[in-house]
Amino acid sequence: MDKFRIMVIDDEKIVGDMAKMSLEQEGYEVETFLNAEPALARLKEQKFNVVVTDYKMKGIDGMEVLRTVKKDYPGTTVIMITAFANLDAAIEALRGDVHDFFPKPVKIKELKESIRRALNQT
Amino acid sequence: MSLVYWGTVKQPALIQSVFSSLSRTFLRRKSLGSREEFKTAFERFKSVLDSNNRALEVITDIGEKLGGDYLFDIVYLKKAYARLKEDITFSIKTFDELTQNRYQRLHEVFGYLDSLVTRMVDEAPPPPPPVVLSFENIPWGTPHDVGGKNARLAEVKNHVGLNVPDGFAFTTSAFDMFIRFNNLESTIERIKKTTTADDAALQELQEFILHGSFPPELSGVIQEELDRIKSHHGECFLAIRSSAEEEDGGRSFAGQFKTILNVPLSRELVERAYRKVIASLFSSKAVSYQLQTGYDIGSFKMAVGCLVMVDAASSGVVYSTMPEGDNGTLIINAAWGLGETIVEGKTETDLSVVRKGKEPVLLRTTVGNKNTMIVNNGKGETIEVSTPEDLRKKPCLSPEQATALAAQAIAIERYFGSPQDIEWAMDKNGALFILQARPLEVDVKSGEPESVMAAESVSDSAHPTIVRDQGIVVQRGAAAGKVFVATKPSESIHLPKGAVLVAKHDSSLFVRIMPYVSAIITETGSQTSHMATLCRELKIPTIVNVPNVTETLKHGQDITLVAGDENKMSIYRGIIRDVLMKSGQDMNRMEDIYEFRKKRYILRYLSPLNLIDPLMDEFTPERCRTMHDILRFLHEKAVAELVESARGGSAKLKRGGSVTRLDLPVPAGILVMDMGGGLESGGQNGAATFDRIASIPFRAIVGGMIHPGAWHSDAVALKTRDFLSSMMRMPDITNATDSTAGYNVAIISREYVNMSIRFGYHFNMVDCYCSETAKNNHIYFRFAGGATDLTKRSRRLELIARVLTAYGFNIKIKGDLLIARLAGINQTDMEKVLDQTGRLIAFARQLDAVLHDDIAVERYANNFLEGIYEI
Repeated sequence: MDKFRIMVIDDEKIVGDMAKMSLEQEGYEVETFLNAEPALARLKEQKFNVVVTDYKMKGIDGMEVLRTVKKDYPGTTVIMITAFANLDAAIEALRGDVHDFFPKPVKIKELKESIRRALNQT
Repeated sequence: MSLVYWGTVKQPALIQSVFSSLSRTFLRRKSLGSREEFKTAFERFKSVLDSNNRALEVITDIGEKLGGDYLFDIVYLKKAYARLKEDITFSIKTFDELTQNRYQRLHEVFGYLDSLVTRMVDEAPPPPPPVVLSFENIPWGTPHDVGGKNARLAEVKNHVGLNVPDGFAFTTSAFDMFIRFNNLESTIERIKKTTTADDAALQELQEFILHGSFPPELSGVIQEELDRIKSHHGECFLAIRSSAEEEDGGRSFAGQFKTILNVPLSRELVERAYRKVIASLFSSKAVSYQLQTGYDIGSFKMAVGCLVMVDAASSGVVYSTMPEGDNGTLIINAAWGLGETIVEGKTETDLSVVRKGKEPVLLRTTVGNKNTMIVNNGKGETIEVSTPEDLRKKPCLSPEQATALAAQAIAIERYFGSPQDIEWAMDKNGALFILQARPLEVDVKSGEPESVMAAESVSDSAHPTIVRDQGIVVQRGAAAGKVFVATKPSESIHLPKGAVLVAKHDSSLFVRIMPYVSAIITETGSQTSHMATLCRELKIPTIVNVPNVTETLKHGQDITLVAGDENKMSIYRGIIRDVLMKSGQDMNRMEDIYEFRKKRYILRYLSPLNLIDPLMDEFTPERCRTMHDILRFLHEKAVAELVESARGGSAKLKRGGSVTRLDLPVPAGILVMDMGGGLESGGQNGAATFDRIASIPFRAIVGGMIHPGAWHSDAVALKTRDFLSSMMRMPDITNATDSTAGYNVAIISREYVNMSIRFGYHFNMVDCYCSETAKNNHIYFRFAGGATDLTKRSRRLELIARVLTAYGFNIKIKGDLLIARLAGINQTDMEKVLDQTGRLIAFARQLDAVLHDDIAVERYANNFLEGIYEI
């Protein structure tokens, strides 16, 4: 069986680097992006099981990533992480059918569990 | 003939009168005056503790979030640091009010630390340093400017105060200037994009550097430095060494870059050597290493050190702690001439083993047969020659030189807080020089298991579980080793490498053994104590609050410990290698990420603790290197200030004020000033019984003082000599407490007591804060003077020291004065200790008169500890 594929989009390199390191240990295939444009372009050519995206980014932001994924790739789960934890953002994301919403710093163990749950659902 | 000595109450009238007049004349101290003023001081003291605790919690949180278990970003760091800065700023402000601005240097240190952290947190490029800095002008904390090697050597010179060769450093600004001047940015940019070492491109870049021209500005500064060196030393040679920038504190780069020796004081030749050294940053070997360790090729810069070469008669290496075996010893390697023979292992060398301590002791020297040596031939070349016959089997260092060198190594280790690998040289006049100091790797087996559950399956009949799910996990991890039970913190110094430390209380004194310990387990402690912060920083598996663990685990027993999330933990009998191997695989993978190391580097200015022992001289603002140090300093000096204020307050009592006499079954003659919550209301005016004491620490102490048997009301025979001695001696006014002759005074609140008492000719002071928050708690105890001759008095101090040490106090004795302190233990334990302290205060009153020999000291101390108070 092919490995599950996870995409991580965050404009800070350290977040992608750390997520990649820890998720690869779980046996996932991980690709990281510093902004959403190339990430969405990559989605056109490769199916991903889970997209972990930052909420607030320059250019295309996390909500737009969420909407695009929900519209064009219904089989892909979206998990949102954000440094700017506020209730409105969380509600907005949940309305957009996000799988999970984490304020940063995110406990890696919880992120891993969330991904595991998402993969069991699909 | 013997006279009878009645203690406090019934002193011979003559002595009483002499004493009172002396008191009036000499014992007047700065008085803080009114009760209100003391109350203000007390409020400020509590406020400092509160803001300190908030700050420590932030440091703990940052340490946790940057520990590899969380995805974090710069926004988190900025917010958290802003909070930390706010708390410390507030703490310092309150502290200034408390101490009437007596520690202004603290502001400079805090400001400097803040500038170091802020530029990392803001990710703003710092203002570029000058292109060249002589070593005395290199500030501490600048490895990003002058490279790690230069930065450490400058600290050895400027802060440890040792001799290092004269010289200067090319900073990373010089590197930038050289690269720009030769238009090499684009070439570097191209290399930056490759993910593997492209040998041809690297070769080309190195050629460009080797043939690059020097910016005139840089040449000018070099010439000035060379002229300065020439005017001091005449013609000499320089050693030009790489000192790679350290932005992450992570990697050693040992042996990766070039070092050029014997460079004459010629600008052209220095420039040529400089080019060779910085070109070595781009050798394919070095670039592969940088890629492996996650560095950004091309963003990484090289600083360079230029040091006058010591015309060495002998040279070598010191390991400030033996890498294997006894922590209490260090080893010195020595050879004739220049040090290369040691590094290259070319010839036999001398090996000395020295016992560490205030005065190091040379234990043994194995003299090697040193057939060859490396010398400077005077023309800028090092050559290998055969060693003159008479020197071959002669030790390079005399015993005095070896112990002097050992003392320097110990000072360096102490300064950096971890074992050091030190290069040294001794010139022909016998002057010692430190050439390099870097952390010495000490291998200790511990790691981080993915989960404790996985480890549970390993328990079998050969490795039964001894303890399960008790206590608080301060740092997750797995470890195995022999149990070392330290009954008091000072014993931990004998801990063998790789052992598991098991102790009653947590203690910041354990810092000194942290490089060697594989895990720490204590019966009491908290998650935000100094020790806990350090254990997390150093990733030492640590569990606190495990009941009776000093008894459950046996000294010398082999155990395996696994500590996980949510306070899940297990201790198994025996060494279970599978657990360690599993944990080793998962361990520190995040450390391979450059960005992660770089962010974690911020912790270097937050978490480590260098101010360890407040009873040592180095406890000054100048020695603060981290925010944790600053908090520690604030706390300790706030305690000291409170003690002073209380002394001023008790002086005031004599002149009246709102005081209550304590009515006790023993004639202790104590007056009480209640600052709030210390006494329960009721009772008759003027006198309060023991039952009315509500102050937690005061009640515990007084309870001990009136403990049956501890207070001797019998007269103790005072020999003539002692009596005369008591007549002849004046009270020591420098150490004396206050002028409450005839009265003993206690200032109390619900959680605080400061009690100054005089019994006969000795002074006793206890200052104690005892609350539910363990890390705020302290006991500070002073004892001075006595009526008998010096020998008996010092025997009494010895006895007190023995007893207090057994209760975990840290002791310092200076002549006639004993100072003991204990901090950070929980309320219940504290009450027990205070009860014993109270008994000791009572017991020690007349004790000196019976301490006829040293054996008596031991006997009475042991008796006391067993609850036998007969004199």
